[in-house]
Amino acid sequence: MALIKLNDLEVEVPDGINVVEAARMHGIEVPHYCYHPGLSSPANCRMCLVEPHVFFPPAGKVVPDRQLATGCTAMIRTAPPDRKLDGKFDYIVQTDSPRVKKAREDILEFLLVHHPLDCPVCDQAGECDLQDFSYRHGHDKSRYVEVKNVPPKKDLGPDVLLYSTRCIVCTRCIRFCDEVAGSGELGLIQRGSHDEIDIPRAHDGTPLQLLDNKLAGNVVDICPVGALISKDFLFKSRPWFMKKVNSVCPGCSVGCNITVEYKEDGVYRLKPRYHADINEHWMCDDGRLGYEYVNSEDRLQIPMKRENEELTATSWEDVLQLMADRLSAAEADSIVVIGSAQGTNEENYLLKKLAHDVLKTDRIGLFGRNVGEEHKFPQFTIESDKNPNTRGARDMLGAFTNGNGTAAAVIEGDKLWESLSDAKVVYLVNGSPERPLTDAERTALENVDFLIVQDIFLSDVAQLADAVLPSTTFTEKDGSFTNSAGWVQRIHKATDPPGEARVDWEIIQQVAKRLAGEFEYHFAGEIAAEIAATVPGYSEATHQQIGDGGVKLRDE
Amino acid sequence: MSDELIHIETPFEFSESNRQEVNELIQRYPVKEAAMLPVLHVAQKQAGYITPGVMRHVAELLEVSVMKVKDVVTFYPMFFEEPVGEYVIRVCYTLPCALRDCKLVLDHLKEKLGTDIASETDLAKGTTGDGKFTILKSECLASCDVAPVMMVNDDLYKNLTPEKVDEILGGLT
Repeated sequence: MALIKLNDLEVEVPDGINVVEAARMHGIEVPHYCYHPGLSSPANCRMCLVEPHVFFPPAGKVVPDRQLATGCTAMIRTAPPDRKLDGKFDYIVQTDSPRVKKAREDILEFLLVHHPLDCPVCDQAGECDLQDFSYRHGHDKSRYVEVKNVPPKKDLGPDVLLYSTRCIVCTRCIRFCDEVAGSGELGLIQRGSHDEIDIPRAHDGTPLQLLDNKLAGNVVDICPVGALISKDFLFKSRPWFMKKVNSVCPGCSVGCNITVEYKEDGVYRLKPRYHADINEHWMCDDGRLGYEYVNSEDRLQIPMKRENEELTATSWEDVLQLMADRLSAAEADSIVVIGSAQGTNEENYLLKKLAHDVLKTDRIGLFGRNVGEEHKFPQFTIESDKNPNTRGARDMLGAFTNGNGTAAAVIEGDKLWESLSDAKVVYLVNGSPERPLTDAERTALENVDFLIVQDIFLSDVAQLADAVLPSTTFTEKDGSFTNSAGWVQRIHKATDPPGEARVDWEIIQQVAKRLAGEFEYHFAGEIAAEIAATVPGYSEATHQQIGDGGVKLRDE
Repeated sequence: MSDELIHIETPFEFSESNRQEVNELIQRYPVKEAAMLPVLHVAQKQAGYITPGVMRHVAELLEVSVMKVKDVVTFYPMFFEEPVGEYVIRVCYTLPCALRDCKLVLDHLKEKLGTDIASETDLAKGTTGDGKFTILKSECLASCDVAPVMMVNDDLYKNLTPEKVDEILGGLT
């Protein structure tokens, strides 16, 4: 640790961090554009200028340095004992001296020279560093009266538009593509005040390469102004009208931390949220743009049962009674319960509890989306398991030891379908955005006497069902997912379920109650508390302890 | 955006002798990327201007992204992205040449060749219909003592007057 004097504060900060981060740790804002904690620092925007102090021998005292320094490259390091400033400080810096304030105002005036100030029609308005820093650190007027450059608007790739006029050429997007994605699609064309961000193009403007890597959406997030814009979100909503809730991306087993931004009528966008050990500042476009299914008009909204070979709408009352009748009529060892790698720990735990305590069956399966492609980038990985909670579902479905001290094995993959040959009643929870069935899987499910499917769409599995229970997506419920690395993380309810759809664990509880199971949970956190008390490794995984940062599974 | 919008470039290959020269150039530097400028000069000499095919080929050769090459090509005014005349005339218009009336030289060239002055983004504007000449304004050519000056391809011409320009052009055609 280094002892520094930060304005009037005497504080300790970790050795080797820069002034911007040191100030941030102590609640002081050093405005910056080109610097981003996840990228290298070129110090080109000059916005983060601060005033370091140095020892000046002729005067025999510590004085402000002759030049201001960029806070993003000014590193704080422990000084040797004979080089301490004022006898004890490793570093002395002013972030709010008159000289610094003047420099910030002037830099902002320069940055706004060619900026169109089209905030009323800009997507970034409300979450724009140019607006915020102008408001807090800027001039109230510009002295520039000449004609502004008007570079063209550009289409960079499948989801990214560039409004070149708004660009302040901080080059964050270029460094992202070079350093994190490793694909290098972006660069600068022309020079000086005519600099523009662009993809490589032939002289007539046709692209030689598009910005279409799977991390491309991140450049929109890190753009400090409204220059890089997501086509998916363009003109959809003003940012301040959306509500935000912390969650976890359900797109793969990495479990990127995200913020779900939504209104009453649905989810509007997903944004990555920082987690040092999982996704840092980033998320992939598969996850970012993969939320559309939540808002789909095709979502299941009412329970259905099979009558005369047709699935017909019915009431919850009716479908639950039908299920209870069929389940209680079947021999315990002819019932198979299949949990979902798309479902939360709480749902899978309750499903296992239903199977173990109420249905008395040991036949437990796990279902989920098919294995997809893995994508590796220099600083990011998209995993091939396209389910958010395979590990958690395995842990939950494998919980509850029997008389002999071991738990029933969770059956997965081909073995699961083979094992259905003598099954009479199957209760399958799905909830995947898409999960096509192979012919073998279809045949296996068709042979089941009574198939209950809990799902969000009339999917391939739901179409084969005798009873269909409309359930919920990750934005409509509370719970936790365990990622492939063993981080247990929270998802939070944002939007309401469509129609009569219900939260998955509530459905399972209703089924249990009808079979005289003593289930009395009022919210998902209660189930999590029970998981923490009973499932090995999950002792810290109560909702309070998971919080926004998650907890890592313990070796127990 | 669909794939059809992607430009399909004509492939470029260095000639045998140029390939040798380029390989030698690359070996001079600690990293391949550092050979970008001399390699691009060789390519431009062979192809006439930097085509998308040239950019792709140079990028592969130097193990950088195509955008890095595009970046360099658009930064330096000595690289052309569209065809230019056989003779590229660069008239210096910075201060000493301006004081010694380079405008007279430029106007005379324009009138004589019947074309405008090219801009970096529109070279066709300053290229004669027969593809022989391109007129460009240039930053300082470092010969202020003999202003006004111009360069025709790699040759410098000093103390210019309209008559002298006529003489030079006469020697070229």
